[in-house]
Order: sequence, then C-alpha cells, then structure tokens
Amino acid sequence: MTLIAEVLMLIAGLIAMLAGLGLLRFETAYARFHAAGKASPVAFLIAALGASTQVGWVGTAYLAIAAMAMILTLPVGVHLMFRAVHRTTPGDHLAIDDLSPAEQEAESAAAAMAAKAARESK
Amino acid sequence: MITTFAIGCFTVAGLLGSYRLLAGPGLADRIVALDVTLISLMGAITVDAAASGDTTNLIMLVVLAIIGFTATVSASRFLEHENPTSLAAIKAASTHSSSSKASRRESKS
Repeated sequence: MTLIAEVLMLIAGLIAMLAGLGLLRFETAYARFHAAGKASPVAFLIAALGASTQVGWVGTAYLAIAAMAMILTLPVGVHLMFRAVHRTTPGDHLAIDDLSPAEQEAESAAAAMAAKAARESK
Repeated sequence: MITTFAIGCFTVAGLLGSYRLLAGPGLADRIVALDVTLISLMGAITVDAAASGDTTNLIMLVVLAIIGFTATVSASRFLEHENPTSLAAIKAASTHSSSSKASRRESKS
C-alpha cells in the first residue's frame, strides 16, 4: 500500500471512532444524531478515497457508486429521524423551536385551502 | 500494520454504536446507532479490500448503503405513525385557534 492510502485510512478510522464516541457520550438525541449523521459518512468517504488508489478502476467504480448512494441518502434519513423525534416528543423540550410554528402555519394553510375548495365545489 | 489499526478503529466505532443500539433510550437512537454500526462495517470492508487488492467484496458496500437508507426511512415513518403526539396537537391547535404548546401539554397528560 502506498503511504497516502495508509494515511487516509488512518484518518478515516479515527473519524469513525469520533462518531462512535459522540454517539456514546452526548446527552440529547439531537446531539447524538448530529455526531452520527455527519462524522460517519465523512469517515467512509475518506476510506473510499484511500482505497480507490489500491483497487483499480473496477473497484473505484464500486466505491464511487457506494459513496454516491451514501451522500445522497444519509442526510435524508438522518433528517427524517430528527423530524420523527421532534414530532413524537411531547411538550417544550427545546430552547428554540422553529419547526412547530412552521408546521402550524402549513397546517392552517392546508386547512384554508381545503375549506376554499369545499366552498368552490358547492 | 496501519491497516490493522484502521480496521481496529472501525471496530471500536461499531462497538460503540452497538452499545447505543442496546442501551439507547429511544427507538430513534437505536436506528441511528444501527446506521453508525453499518457504516463502520462498510469502512472496514473498504480497508480490507484495499489491503488485499481484491474487489470481490466491494459490491456489498452499495447494497449496505441502500439497506441502511431504507431502514432509516421506514423506521422514521413508523415512529411518526406510531406516536403522532405533536402532529395531532398541531391539528387541534389550528382548528380551535389556541396555541399549539398548550394543546400539546394537554395531549401529554
């Protein structure tokens, strides 16, 4: 293995360990998601970058497909988990909550549109 | 040597994720911990493939990435449908024109 691949893989392993430590140590669910959802894809991307110097063109293509799938899908999944936690936790659990007023606004707008459609259909 | 150390780092990350998977206070924590464990497995497969120069296992990475995404999304939908506390409160607040936080406290009790 070349030196650059080894260094990149070492960095990737350390970043993955940081993600695990954040998952272990942080207090709230939001902070844990923050650590897990940002550090772990970066770790995989760096490891893939290091490995792509070793495995030839076919292996690099596989790694590129996997990295692309991860970049496109993982933020969406973690965002959905954030939203699920926000919706299923009752009460005021946040110091600043910007999502609840926005959802309330969207709900009232949808209700107004439904009422308007019902009036027009009569 | 460095390859072994890198795989050890990924293993430690996977073990920390497994701890959160077993001990996590909520279902969402467990799902995200499962994601981290899966990504640690993917990183270890990548390092192993680079060390041996063998591309046989690399197709597994694509499958694992897509499986992780599907698991996360379906679990989050399940969570929202299983326990839609604040959504119901928001709907009630928008129809009765009261504040959403007060009705959320009512729906909690």
